[in-house]
Order: sequence, then structure tokens, then C-alpha cells
Amino acid sequence: MKNKDKGTAKSISIRSMNKFFQAVHVLKDLSLEVQAGEFLVLLGPSGCGKSTALRLIAGLESISSGELFIGETNVTNVLPKYRDIAMVFQSYALYPHKTVAENIGFPLKMAKTPKADIDTAVLAAAQQVELGDYLERFPGQLSGGQRQRVALARAIIRRPSVFLMDEPLSNLDAKLRGNMRAELKYMQSKLGVTMIYVTHDQIEAMTLAHRVAVLKDGTLQQLGTPKEVYSNPANLFVAGFMGSPPMNFISGAIDNESFTTKGVKLPLPGAPKSNQVTLGFRPEDCRIVKAGSGAMDAEVYTAELTGDQVLVTLQLHGSQIVSRMPKEFEIGDTQIAGIEVDARHLYLFDSESGLRITADSTR
Amino acid sequence: MTKPAARRSLFEPPDIGQMATATKIVLYTVLLAWSAFVLFPIYWLIITSFKTIAAVNQGPYFLPWIDFEPSLHAWKELFVNDYRDTFRAYFNSIVISLSATALAILVGSMAAYALSRVKFAPNLITILYFVGLLALTGVAVGIYDVDWRVAAATAIALFFFLARAIGRLYQLRLQNGDILFWIISQRILAPIVVVVPIYMMFQSVRLLDTHLAIILTYTVINLPVVVWLMYDFFNSIPRDLEESAQLDGATMIGIFREIILPLSRAGLAATTLLVVILCWNEYLLALFLSTNKAQTMPILVAAMNAGERGILWWTMSAVIMIMIIPVVIMAILLQKYIAKGILVGAVKG
Repeated sequence: MKNKDKGTAKSISIRSMNKFFQAVHVLKDLSLEVQAGEFLVLLGPSGCGKSTALRLIAGLESISSGELFIGETNVTNVLPKYRDIAMVFQSYALYPHKTVAENIGFPLKMAKTPKADIDTAVLAAAQQVELGDYLERFPGQLSGGQRQRVALARAIIRRPSVFLMDEPLSNLDAKLRGNMRAELKYMQSKLGVTMIYVTHDQIEAMTLAHRVAVLKDGTLQQLGTPKEVYSNPANLFVAGFMGSPPMNFISGAIDNESFTTKGVKLPLPGAPKSNQVTLGFRPEDCRIVKAGSGAMDAEVYTAELTGDQVLVTLQLHGSQIVSRMPKEFEIGDTQIAGIEVDARHLYLFDSESGLRITADSTR
Repeated sequence: MTKPAARRSLFEPPDIGQMATATKIVLYTVLLAWSAFVLFPIYWLIITSFKTIAAVNQGPYFLPWIDFEPSLHAWKELFVNDYRDTFRAYFNSIVISLSATALAILVGSMAAYALSRVKFAPNLITILYFVGLLALTGVAVGIYDVDWRVAAATAIALFFFLARAIGRLYQLRLQNGDILFWIISQRILAPIVVVVPIYMMFQSVRLLDTHLAIILTYTVINLPVVVWLMYDFFNSIPRDLEESAQLDGATMIGIFREIILPLSRAGLAATTLLVVILCWNEYLLALFLSTNKAQTMPILVAAMNAGERGILWWTMSAVIMIMIIPVVIMAILLQKYIAKGILVGAVKG
């Protein structure tokens, strides 16, 4: 598989992959099917095993148990250089003693490509990432965004069948990150490669991915399109991790087909009786109204104008509830306000297991 | 906006990022004084090598052509009368220092690279068996005249038996830090402690007064220095670079040649310089291991101290002069790399 089919996107099949570091079980029985040409994002908080998963796919760590297929080939025990994979590291891993051109051309040099071919390919790759004028510079003389592009060019020059990216944007400032995000997405669709992208930033995941795999403590929580994961979270963790500001949670009980907690009673037809549940609703699915006229009353904490909206934070029994209001909204000196929730966008979770409880009235 | 006219006192800097005049005066005075203090012995050495016996004995004289008349008699003695001794010692020093340094750098940097990249976990008990059996084999062969093949075979068999039988019961394992400390501890040990055993060892293999004996000894005593310094250097090279090169299709040798070697060039230069100087100046072991043919420069210098004609200050100064020169040249040549090494760090975002 070394040279044939160069540049054609390949599927990746991860079959009950496990990883132990001594006694620590870092990755638990991960199974994933990534389509050829798909942009898959591995999303999770730090320490969830997403980077380890990527390193296992790259072959930088050995797989403790399970199997890994790239295309039709079982690569579980194959050395990284035979996997036809390119990887962009968080630190970019540029060789500081080599010029931009030498950095980009390094994979070809290692493949013993003739010098003239390397030069043409380097120029083409550099132009693709708009680095044509910087070929003779050293990485130390480039800005963060330019270094990122060098790393990208070094990855695309080989026309690999799989691209791996480990938090490639986390070292950039916010504005550049937005630009690079768009460029990455454009480049992935243009090159048509299979991409696995690791991030802890749910906005990157939402905007880039065809599908998102949410990980926590080495376990896959949910796999789906960004829209599915956002609007139909499988459990409390996914619901709380996706979205900014995150989903609001109120704990209480279900009694007589209605959610109850101190001072709150919300009818939820079809909800099974339970003592410990958590009710969730997103900031955009609730509105601030006059005290007494909403589903619940809460103490006003702050109101923040972010430009296109006002985020109002309220306190209810010690937990905070955020409501996203239009930018014209003014809270004034209101002390207690009512919260009206959209009954069609309520989520119910079992407090203990974190799993979704579906009722007729909840999504 | 124009700057207000600078009317600063002697104690205020004229601009941000500059030094006040008073600070400059104090700083340069101190630096000049220190330089004079450091360089004076070298000056003293130079003029002494050109002094006549009378000028030394009646001294102190400091200024050539003013206090005393310079003479080339010491240099003549060194390069005309005793030229055989001088050139032999010079040649010996160069061969021994360079060979020992090359060997120590080669072996030491490989060991350091392994220690910085591979996690070792040798079983402590197994190491103890190994050392114990090695000592027993030595005793059996040396004292009881057992055939060495029989002794070695028995020891190897016993080692594997013990390692399998008891080694499993004790799981106390050493780590890289322990290994590193063990290596450094070799250097902490005072050479005088082992000088007699080393002497007897080379005597029994009839290698006394040969280059090989001194080269091997110098290699061994300088290995810890190389390992210690290069370990830090290799550790400062991010692993990402090697992993990236690995994915880019580089082999182990490719990674070492393309990534590790160029990035550790500065460390290698500094370590080489240090080890060369340590070998060049070594006296104690050379004194024991060489009698005549393999004598090095420090031995020659010391010999000037013990002739029947008393201490030959003038000749000694001349010898020391020619001893300093190669080291100075090397330092100047390698300085470029040492200075560069500080600038070429890994690139971080």
C-alpha cells in the first residue's frame, strides 16, 4: 500500500480499540467508522483520550487491543511511515534548522524523490497555502499563522490518503483561528481527503465536522452530525459540552407527569416518575419575562451585551441559568425576573446515569 | 512628538534600554580589572619564556627590553636540543586527546540519546547477579586458574538460571534517572581511588606506556561528562519533531541525521571542547600509565620541575605556551556553534 492509490481518500475503521498506559485505561473500546473523504472531529475535554486515539491511528503509540483498518488494509501493527498518513501537530513540529522549502519538501526527500520534482512540488504546495514568498525563511522568522501553513503544506505535499490534526488551531489568536478554520474546511473539501481532527473547542467541532465524536474519559459518548449532537444530545455530558454558553440545568423530580423542584412546577406529559432528574434547556430556548408570568422565577445576576445579543444570567437555587436575549433587551434594575421556557425544546436526563429520558413532551 | 531635551544626570540612563553613564563606568572598570587579573598569568608566562636564567632569578621583571633583555634560549632548548621529547609529547597529547574525545562523544551521545528517548526498567536484582557473577568469574580465572571458557560458560548459565528463578520474585526496577545518576557517580569518584587497579590491569595485558591504554582510560572517565551534558541537550529537542519525521517517512537513521544531529550540533561542540580540554590537561592517570613513549604534555611540564638543574621556569613557560595554543584555536573554531546553539531552539507557537 506504499505508493499505489496515492492521494485517494481512504476510509478508516476503528474496531474496539483499547489503550492502556501501564494500569491506566486511557481509551475504552473505541469503535468508529470514518468514511473516505469525511471530516470527522474527535471532541472532548483535555484528558479524554482524543489525542491518544489520534496517536494510535498515526501509529505513534501501539494499540493495546482491537484493530485498525485504513482502507481495506489492517494497519494495527504497521509502522507509521507505511500508513500513508500525514499529521499536523499542535506545536506544528517544524524543523527549526530547515528553511520553509526544506520543511515542506522533507517527506519527499525521505521518499528519495528527485531534487527537481521536490522543488516543483514544494512550490505548488507553498502556493496552495500562500507561502510562495517565504520559502527561504526559517520557521523562527514566521508568525504563528504562517507556521501553521508550513505544517499544512508539509502535510499536503505527500497527497496522503488520511489527514490527522491534533488541535492545530489552539496556538493561534482568535481572529486568525476563525480564518484558518474556514481555510481548513475549504482545503479538506477541495482535496477530498479523509480528515480526523482533534479539538476541545466545540465551536471548531460544530463548524468543521461532517460528524462529531464526543469523548469523555476514554469512552465514546455520542457520534453524529454536529446538528444531531447539538439538538439531540445522548446524555448530560454531551448536552453540557456542546453550545456556548452551555445548556442550563435544573435538578428536580418527576411527579405526576410534571417536573418539580422548589418553586417550580412544569407539566411534562408522558414523563415517567422519577426522584432524581435534571431538566435542561438551551439559553436560546428561554426568555426573560415579568416575575410570576414564566415557568419559574429567578434572581437576576448579570446581563452581558456581546454585540449581537444580551446574555442574562440568573440564579435559581444556587445554579446559574443563562438566557440569550435580543440585543435590544434591557434588564434595567429588575431584581427578580421570570423565565419562560420553550416547551418544545426541553431535555430530561436521569441525574444519576446522565442518560436522556424521553417523554412525549421533551425532545 | 519630539522628545524633551535630554538633561539627565550621570546616574540616569539617557534612554530606555540603555545604561546610565555611571553604570557604564563602574561596569567597564570592573570588567577591565577582572580581565587584567585573569590575563596576567598568561602575560607572565609569555615574558618568562623569553627571560634568561639571570632575569628570572634576579626578578621580578615585567617589561621586556626595559627591565630585561628577551632571549630565545628557552625556546631553543625546547625546539632544538630537546625537540624529540617535545614533539613526541605534543604528538601524544594530540592523538590521545582527539581519539579519546571522539570515542567518548560517539559512545556517550548514543547512550544519552537512548536514555532521553527510551524508558529502561532493568531489574535491580538481575543487575546484582550480573555484577556478582562477573566478579566471581574474575576471581575463579585470576586466582584459582580455572579455564576462562569454563568459568564464563558457568557464569552465563547461572545468570540465566538465577534471573528466571529468583529475578521474577523481586520486581524492584531501576529507572532512567537511576541509570543516569549511576553514570554520573562514576565521575564523582576520585580517580586516585582507581589508579592502582587500572595500572595493574594494563600491566597484566601489557599495554602500559601505550596510546591505547591512555585513550581507553580517558574515554571511560569522560563518558559520564558526555552522557550528562548530551542527555540534557537531547531532552530539549521536542519529541514532536521526531514523531513528525517518522510520519513523514524518515527511518531511524534518517531522523538522527536530519533532525537530531543538526539540532544538537551546538551541544556536541560544547561537549567536545570540554572533553578535549579535560583530556588535554589530565595528569594523574597519564603519570601512571606512561613512562616514556606515551608521555603527554602535562607530564613533560611536570618533568621540568624535577630535573637535576632545579626548576626550569623559562622552558616550562615555553612548554605551557605551546600547550595552550591548540585549545585556544579549538575554542575559537567551535565558538560559532556554541553561540548558535543558544539561538536555534525549537520553534514554539
